[in-house]
Amino acid sequence: MLLKVENLVAGYGKFEVIRSLSLEISKGESVGLFGPNGHGKTTLLRCISGLVDARSGDVLFQGENIKNHTPGQIVDMGLIHVPQGNTLFPRMTVLENLKLGAYSRRAWEKRLENISRVFKLFPRLEERKSQYARTLSGGERQMLSIGLGLMGVPDLLMLDEPSLGLAPKIKDELGQAILEIAQSGVTLLIVDQDIELLLGLCQRLYLIEKGQVSLETEEEEGIQQQEVLEMYFGRVAQ
Amino acid sequence: MTIDFERIIAILVSGLVSGSLYALMASGLSLVWGTLGMFNFAHGALVMLGAYAAWYFSNPAGLGGGLLLGIPAAIVLIGVGGYVLYVLLVKPFVGRPGADLIVIITTIAGATFLQNGVQVVFGPRYKQLARVLTGEVRFFNTAVGFQDLIVILVAPTMLLLLALFLKRSKLGLAIRAVEQNYDSAQLVGINAGQVYPLTFAVSAILAAIAGILLGGLFFILPTMGSEPLLRAFIVVVFGGLGSLPGTIIGAYIIGLIESISGFFLTLYWAPVVLFAVLIFVMIVRPTGLMGRE
Repeated sequence: MLLKVENLVAGYGKFEVIRSLSLEISKGESVGLFGPNGHGKTTLLRCISGLVDARSGDVLFQGENIKNHTPGQIVDMGLIHVPQGNTLFPRMTVLENLKLGAYSRRAWEKRLENISRVFKLFPRLEERKSQYARTLSGGERQMLSIGLGLMGVPDLLMLDEPSLGLAPKIKDELGQAILEIAQSGVTLLIVDQDIELLLGLCQRLYLIEKGQVSLETEEEEGIQQQEVLEMYFGRVAQ
Repeated sequence: MTIDFERIIAILVSGLVSGSLYALMASGLSLVWGTLGMFNFAHGALVMLGAYAAWYFSNPAGLGGGLLLGIPAAIVLIGVGGYVLYVLLVKPFVGRPGADLIVIITTIAGATFLQNGVQVVFGPRYKQLARVLTGEVRFFNTAVGFQDLIVILVAPTMLLLLALFLKRSKLGLAIRAVEQNYDSAQLVGINAGQVYPLTFAVSAILAAIAGILLGGLFFILPTMGSEPLLRAFIVVVFGGLGSLPGTIIGAYIIGLIESISGFFLTLYWAPVVLFAVLIFVMIVRPTGLMGRE
């Protein structure tokens, strides 16, 4: 088991957002999280990566309990979180952004070879390498965000809403790149609203509702889109 | 009043000297503001300490090591001092609600403490640093003191080094990253708790250099940092909060405004002109010359 979340509880102030949530990810898997907005998907990722404190429960990564470790320690272990929306350093060039992605001790020495790896995956970033991040288009920004994650030499890469606000064509392009990342041996945890994208990328899906896993699809079953939509909307309509 | 070439050069030199000193001080303030979102009111005290430290290490009445010892020793000492200042006066409040206001009070308290402490240790008599070079050069028949020339040349050199440090070094990248996106900085593994005190140290080094230059021009006394600190605050607001290029350009503009208005309208009126320009800029561009929304 690469990542094991057990009975995790987390929130902000008086509000409990994650309520006793458990899930597991094995090495080499791609796992998707979906569900309505405001039900804790992003908070779960922020809690795993150390940005939000866990109130109880455990987060095990590669067998070690990383609950309430600092984000820096967690990054150093190879668990990289690519947050939602504009996550970049806007007044820095594409190249500087990528360099920062390799800030951790485990990644800094390999930064040059990893930059060329990212450029191979996203040739458009190489064309823009001296441009400030804030001048990039939405799709390019998303590519750069994922590139930043790759620069950290991830064992587990968590992507929060990679397809948010993207045109269908760019979404496809990005999906292809994410598939290539998975095939290179990186374990993925992907949060997205676009179930089609998740179905194309993931072996397993979790439905997150009210801070808990309310449904989980089994690996062998194969996932039918209709099935997923039914259980998703069926639940919400109750 | 006739305006001849000599006078123009004199006005220019005096404007560039104050502009240089303001730029050094204000860039340190701006760096801390950009990264922590806080104003360090003890920045003027660090300028003053830099001058005293250089005097103590160099002057025969102190350790007598000459400027070759005094200048580097002061820079190192005040750099460490900035780090300690952060740990004592800022760190306990980081992340608390209202921290920016609390830190104004704690750093004012620290500045008062340092000013009076220096008064007790070194006594009330004014000090002065030995000059690196005495004498003057002549430009178009106008004498320009070497000390002025040193200030005019050293400040841009230091600011260039600062820019290179922020652009090229790993720590410099981390400082800018924390400034631009705190969450994402954490997610690439930057520990803001380590970056903050180092930002203070870099800012203190700039203050120390300003103090050493100031101490070679004027007398060294416990309150010598207060007046330039006020100017530096104006510069930071004028240039645009958090923008280093804006701060530097703003510093030179304000230095020149002061010297020009001081010459034509007497020194008494210079602050009036200065604030009138500041108010005008704030009305037209509320974010300052190069500030962001």
